[in-house]
Amino acid sequence: MEKTLYQIFKTFFKVGTLLLGGGYVILPLLQSELIDKKKWIDDDELCEFYALGQSVPGIIAANVSIFVGYKLRRTAGAIAAVIGIVMPAFISIVVLAKILEEIIQLKFVQSIFWGVGIGVLILIFLAVKEIWKKSVVDKFSCWIFFITFILSACFKAPPASLIIFAIFMGLWLQFSKKIERGEK
Amino acid sequence: MIYIKLFLEFFHIGLFSFGGGYATLPFLYHIADVQKWYTAKQLSDMIAVSSITPGPVGVNVATFAGFTTSGILGALVATTSVILPSLIIVIIISKLLEQFKHNKYVQSVIYTLKPAGCGLLAAVGVDMFVNNINLFGMILLAGLFIASLTEKRDPLFYLAVSAIVGLVAGFFNLTA
Repeated sequence: MEKTLYQIFKTFFKVGTLLLGGGYVILPLLQSELIDKKKWIDDDELCEFYALGQSVPGIIAANVSIFVGYKLRRTAGAIAAVIGIVMPAFISIVVLAKILEEIIQLKFVQSIFWGVGIGVLILIFLAVKEIWKKSVVDKFSCWIFFITFILSACFKAPPASLIIFAIFMGLWLQFSKKIERGEK
Repeated sequence: MIYIKLFLEFFHIGLFSFGGGYATLPFLYHIADVQKWYTAKQLSDMIAVSSITPGPVGVNVATFAGFTTSGILGALVATTSVILPSLIIVIIISKLLEQFKHNKYVQSVIYTLKPAGCGLLAAVGVDMFVNNINLFGMILLAGLFIASLTEKRDPLFYLAVSAIVGLVAGFFNLTA
């Protein structure tokens, strides 16, 4: 499919509409829309954008969208993508703002919310499985995965500190390779 | 001037919250304390509502705070401000990446960032699992898992099925 600005906006608007239960499902949604259906980018690129999107400040779903949008149509594409991803959130809050408190007290709304929480879990699991294939490619990357996972899940280490850790490991790895080869 | 204040506060969040999602929460609670645009109670309601409305929680709260303080224009200002730092920073990084894509250090950092990103997402999943799951939830999760093994499905499939099952389960008090 052609990557017009309108198509980019429309695609991200759709993803933004389905972005339930926090921004984390952005990854499986983009996999489905951009890789499987439209073939605009590949798994490797999305995995890279997702990792980078977590490494910069701001809202991850927005960051990933901007990376993808830029890749598709440079700055204009980035703007189209971020407007698309944010607009459903914007509209729904503006429409619901006045009745928010009443809504969350409705029992059936809470039940739906509970169910969607489980759906989000399976999507996160599937996403981890997919990016595992692209990111954990050898022993060293496997170590990085488990260190970040355990520090984050068990010790609640702030994500930013783990990202900085990963960046240092990357720099250190390259640096030590250079030393081994006797370069300076 | 309320618009400038909204801009400054939410631009600040966009610029300094690392790790997304719930990393924005301390900032948002701080705003509740200092600016009185919303109360802490309203914020926790907002966070609950964010789970059922589309979009990242940071965007939802920005829109909500802007809207309650100064209507649609305020909502627009706050939402744009929270996104603007991302837009600027990510475009700059994208431009740099194009230039330095073949640099060994850049490649090495991307190589280590990917498993770290994967590890962080896995940790989010575990955290959500531990905090939200009950026996019936496990059964639903197992069902969805089996469905995922047979063929590759649209994410919408999982969200729709789990929403419907949740709705029905609610009638039988299985969600508590």
